Order: sequence, then structure tokens, then C-alpha cells
Amino acid sequence: MKTSAILGAVLYAGAAALGTAAHAADPVTITIWCQDDERQPGLNLAKEFGEKNPDIKVVYRQIHFDDVTSEAMRAYSTGQAPDIIAIDNPEHALFASHGVFLDLTDRIAKSEVIHKEDYFPGPLASVTWDGKLYGVPKATNTIALYYNADMFKAKGLDPDKPPQTWDELVDAARKLNDPASNVYGIAFSAKASEEGTFQFLPWAQMTGGGYDKINTDGAVRALTIWKTLLDDKLASPDTLTRGQWDSTGTFNSGNAAMVISGPWELNRMSQEAKFDWRVTLMPVPEAGAPRSSAMGDFNWAIFKSSKHPDEAFKALEYFVSQDPRVFPDWGQLAARANVEIPPTGDARKDAAVKVFMEQLKYAQPRGPHPEWMKISKAIQDAIQSALTGQASPKDALDQAAATIKGILG
Amino acid sequence: MRRLYSSLVDGRGFDLCLIGIPLAFLIVLSGIPLIYNVVMSFQAVDMFSLGSFIRPWVGFENYRQLIAQPEFWPIMGHTATFLAASIAGQFLLGFALALFFWTNFPGASWLRGLFLVSWVMPGLVVGAVWNWLLSGDFGVFNFVLRELHVISGNVFWRSDPNFALWSVIIANIWLGTSFNMILLSVGLSSIPADLYEAAELDGAGALTRFWTITLPMMRSTIGALISLGLIFTLQQFDLFAAITSGGPNNASNVAQYWAWDLSFKQYDFAKGAAISVIMIAVVMVASVYYVRSTRHEVRG
Repeated sequence: MKTSAILGAVLYAGAAALGTAAHAADPVTITIWCQDDERQPGLNLAKEFGEKNPDIKVVYRQIHFDDVTSEAMRAYSTGQAPDIIAIDNPEHALFASHGVFLDLTDRIAKSEVIHKEDYFPGPLASVTWDGKLYGVPKATNTIALYYNADMFKAKGLDPDKPPQTWDELVDAARKLNDPASNVYGIAFSAKASEEGTFQFLPWAQMTGGGYDKINTDGAVRALTIWKTLLDDKLASPDTLTRGQWDSTGTFNSGNAAMVISGPWELNRMSQEAKFDWRVTLMPVPEAGAPRSSAMGDFNWAIFKSSKHPDEAFKALEYFVSQDPRVFPDWGQLAARANVEIPPTGDARKDAAVKVFMEQLKYAQPRGPHPEWMKISKAIQDAIQSALTGQASPKDALDQAAATIKGILG
Repeated sequence: MRRLYSSLVDGRGFDLCLIGIPLAFLIVLSGIPLIYNVVMSFQAVDMFSLGSFIRPWVGFENYRQLIAQPEFWPIMGHTATFLAASIAGQFLLGFALALFFWTNFPGASWLRGLFLVSWVMPGLVVGAVWNWLLSGDFGVFNFVLRELHVISGNVFWRSDPNFALWSVIIANIWLGTSFNMILLSVGLSSIPADLYEAAELDGAGALTRFWTITLPMMRSTIGALISLGLIFTLQQFDLFAAITSGGPNNASNVAQYWAWDLSFKQYDFAKGAAISVIMIAVVMVASVYYVRSTRHEVRG
């Protein structure tokens, strides 16, 4: 794993350094760590920033998703941290609360490019710690309900009226479920990883619960519904061990009639799914209940140890200025409401993006809390022990609430 | 000066060099990390003190908290099951194959070589293949069992708490059998053929020959193989990562995967280190046994 990170290291310096050798004797070097490859914004924007600023040498290192946090910790504790890092949003608070990231509040207040009020509340909350801004959201995503409109028609459901409440969702899953032709009513992920928390937490939040009150009646009801979906085989038992990407794969191949997943599926789905697929907002507990949704994706941050914070901030400003390109060029959603999403020419995809943009308004961050990973583990354990029948949903969530209380102190 | 030189080239100094170089190598590459790990398990470690050696000392607190976790004993139990079943399966299948190829039918030697393919494959690749074979809805395993009328409905190998650990064990047995076979084949071929001829003349049957000649002559090979198996099995991480990720509900979680999960998913490095210290203690016992059985080999 470590070697893959080192092998993945990519240097983009040549072009920028050559052009300036004449007048800049000692160019400032900015190091950027990010998981993006050439099909994603991070690497491309870093390269462009280097080309546009001949006096700044940009060194880009690509780091595998699983290694970002541990590599960053190791580098920081040995004094070799990069200037800029792209970090997964639930882990942001861990670094911010330890004073590892640079406080950008004043710089952002003065900036002509980055405006705090442009951002969706969820992503903004994830870069905020103790009222100060320790980063800038890089992109964002959330989850919603994809459904197969052809199957809706075949089973006598109205594809223009997808399920809006939890009861309607279970009802639709039951009607769409067709074991004889290998079709499950719904697919989602209850995996014992961050993905399981990511999928479950919004259900709790819609009933007024949250990570700090995970055993509310509403959350128990939500977990009971998940258990019903699995016990009645309306979703594959492999939901327990399968991530969102693989679960959505079964939807694309026509083996699940609905799936809960995010906009990162759009490109693959428009290529693979040979049916009329659509997206609707996450169903709510009952009509009129508040909406909620999970919030994913990465944030940019500058390490406090950076020797060139001004140049690093200039790089962030450049990245933010290119936000309008992240969807058309790389298929990601900017974390801002005021970024125009141009049509792609694929009607289904365009309609879906609109739903996701609507859903994003309700997206809430996980945490922010420095010990998020332990909180998340407690939630994952509750989901798994309830769904495997080791504990009742109520007992499982009570146990999780007790564990989380211990962590929150 | 000359004496020092001659001692270095051909004398006590040369011997010391021969011992010293590998010893220094071992200390730098194994000793220091090992000690670092043991020390870390007695300290309060967070991600930002990773780089320093001096950290608050907490004694056995990490171990106490670890043992108090409800999943501790189940996970230790799974580790024991995983070890016992994997080693037994690999050894018995490996021994059966080794005996089979020992009969030396035409083509036996290169067929035996082909069996090694499973051993040279990286664990993650093997994991991905088994992941697919064992998948619940569309798995090859389920299809075959259904066609043979062994099962009526699909078995969710990876997601059913009763089967998850066994699905990793099956994959691990497949992965390790050929290595066992090769080592046992080597052991078999070193038994002098005249022993069997003499026994046969005395009227010993195939089974008697196996119990009185093959097994006793193979004792040191078997001892070494089982302790090596213990070490390799305790190191088996890739298959868990690829097939079940320790789930569902820790049903297939074992010590080595848990240590990784604590350290690198929850950033609780001290507890991760504490588990690996417990594992080191187990491996030490196996290593002593391994060294003892191979020492016997050198003398013989």
C-alpha cells in the first residue's frame, strides 16, 4: 500500500521550471498531495496553476485514497508535510482541531475569488472548526434514489411518482422485487466501513437524530426498515459486505429496481444502464418531514507548516476560480450553489444532476468531530449487529449511543 | 595493523564480520521496528505523536481497554479457528497431493509445478477471484452447488455470519495448499528408497509403510511446515481485505485485520500495536518450534 503511494507520485515541474530559469533564480515550490488522477480535477488544476505561474514550481503527488490520512499524519509528525492537501471531509476536523491546518478565515474574508456565502452549508461546515475556516471545499456529492422507470411500468407503478416516504419506498421495493427473474427491489450499502455510516446517517437525521443522538425512535425505525428490506430479501444479503459502487453495478445490470447512491455513478450508468433510469430525492420518514442527505467528497487545506502560505492560498484561489469546469470536464459537482451546470447532451444525466443539486441543499457533514472514525465505527457496528440479527435495532443503537457518548465525553 | 588485517581476512575478525553484518541488518530492519511496536503498545499515541519515540507511558491500559472491548474474545476465537482450519486444510490437502505426485506417473513433475500457480498469485488477486466465486447472487460456487442439488437457495458466503469466516478459510486453503505440497514433496523424496524395499520384503503393507517409515522420516519437515504455516496464516491479510473486510458484524474479523483496522482506519495506533504484540508472542512460540525442527534437519 505504501509503495503504491510512492509509485503514484507524479512530478509536474519541468515545464514551469524551464520557462523561468532566466529571471527567477529561486522559484517558490508548492507541494500538493491529492488522490486525483488525470481524469479528475486535482491533478489538472495543479498542473495548470504551475503553467500559469512561472515563478511557482508545483510538485504534485498522487496518493491513493486509503493512504491520504495516514500519509499526511506521518509526514506532518516528521516535519515533511506538503503545502496543500486534499482531504476527505469527515477527516478534516481531526487535522483542524489539532492545529495542523492553517486558519484561512482572514484570507478568505479578503479574497476576491473565494466567498464563504457561495458554499452549500454542508461542505462549509466540514471545513469549519471552532468558528474558523480551515480549508475550502473541493467538490461535493450526496446520495439520492435512482430507480428503473421501465420496471416501475412493468409492475404497475407510476414512474412519474417515485416513492417519497419510507413506507412508499418499502412498498415499492416489495412490488418491484422479483426473485424469479433475479431482481431485488432495492440496492444500497450497509457495509462495515465509512460507506455504511454514509448511507445510514441521513435516515437518522431526517427524524431529528444525528451522530450525537443515534438511538432516537426515528433512527430505530430507520434501522428496522433496513432490517425488513434484508430479512424479506427485498435487498441482497450481500448488502452487508458490498460497497455503493458494486451495489449500483447490480442496478445497472438490471438486477435491482432501485439503488441509493451518488452522482459519481452518473457517467458509468449512462454508459451501462440500458433502460430508462431516473433519480429522485431521498424518501423522508413521512410527508412533510425535514429532508437530509449525506455529504461526501474532499476539501482543500493548507498545512500550517507551509513556508509559502501566500502562494499556496493563491493556488486554492485558482482552483476555486475553475469550479465551473469541474462538472463539464471531470463530472464532479462543485460545492457551490452559484455554479452553472451546463447541459451534457444526455437528457437522463441532466435531469439527474438537477435532482442531486436539489438534494445537496439538505446534505449534512459527518461530524465535524476529531474522532469521527471512532464515532463512525460505533454506527457501523450497530448497523451490522442489527442486520445480522445479533441485536435488536433498538439495543444495537443504544449500544452505539453509549459508545459515542464515551467518545464525545 | 597487519595482525588486524590478517584477522579480518582469515581469522576471528572474519568470523565476527560474518556474524556482525547479518546481525546489524536484522537489528536495523526487524529489531528496531519490533521494539518500537512493543514500546508503542504501552504508550498513549495519537496521530501527531507518531514521529516521536517519547510519549506518555500508560502501562497496560491499552491492553486492558482492548480486552474489555466486546469484540475481543470473538475475534481471538475467529483467529484460532482460522489458524487451525487453514493449517489443517492446507496440510492435509498438500500431503495428499504430495503423496499422489510421489507415485511419479508420466507428467507428474510438471503438473506439480503447475499447482504452484496458486501460490505465486498475489493475495489481493486471489481475493478478488474468490470474491467473485463466492458472491451470493451470481457466484460460481452457488451455481455449482445448486446444480449438484447440494443447496436449494443461494448461500451468502460473504454476508452470512455463519459462513463468512469459512469463505476466507476456503480461499486461504486453496492459496496455501500447493506450498505445503512442494515442501512435503521435497521431504518425501529425501527418504531413502531402500527403506521401503526392505520393509516390503518383510511384508509390510502400504499403510504400515506409511505409518512406520514415511511419517517418522518426515517429522522434521512436518514440524517446520506447520510452524511456517502458522506464521504465514497469521500474516494473511489480503484475503480478508478483498473478500469480507472482516464483516458482517466482525463475524470474519481476525487479529491481524483488526490490528490494521484499529491503526489505519480508526487511528488508534497504540491498540493496533497492542494486538500485534499479542500476535508476536504467538509467532515467537511457533518460531522456536520451527528453529528446533530445522536444527534437527541440519544435524541429520
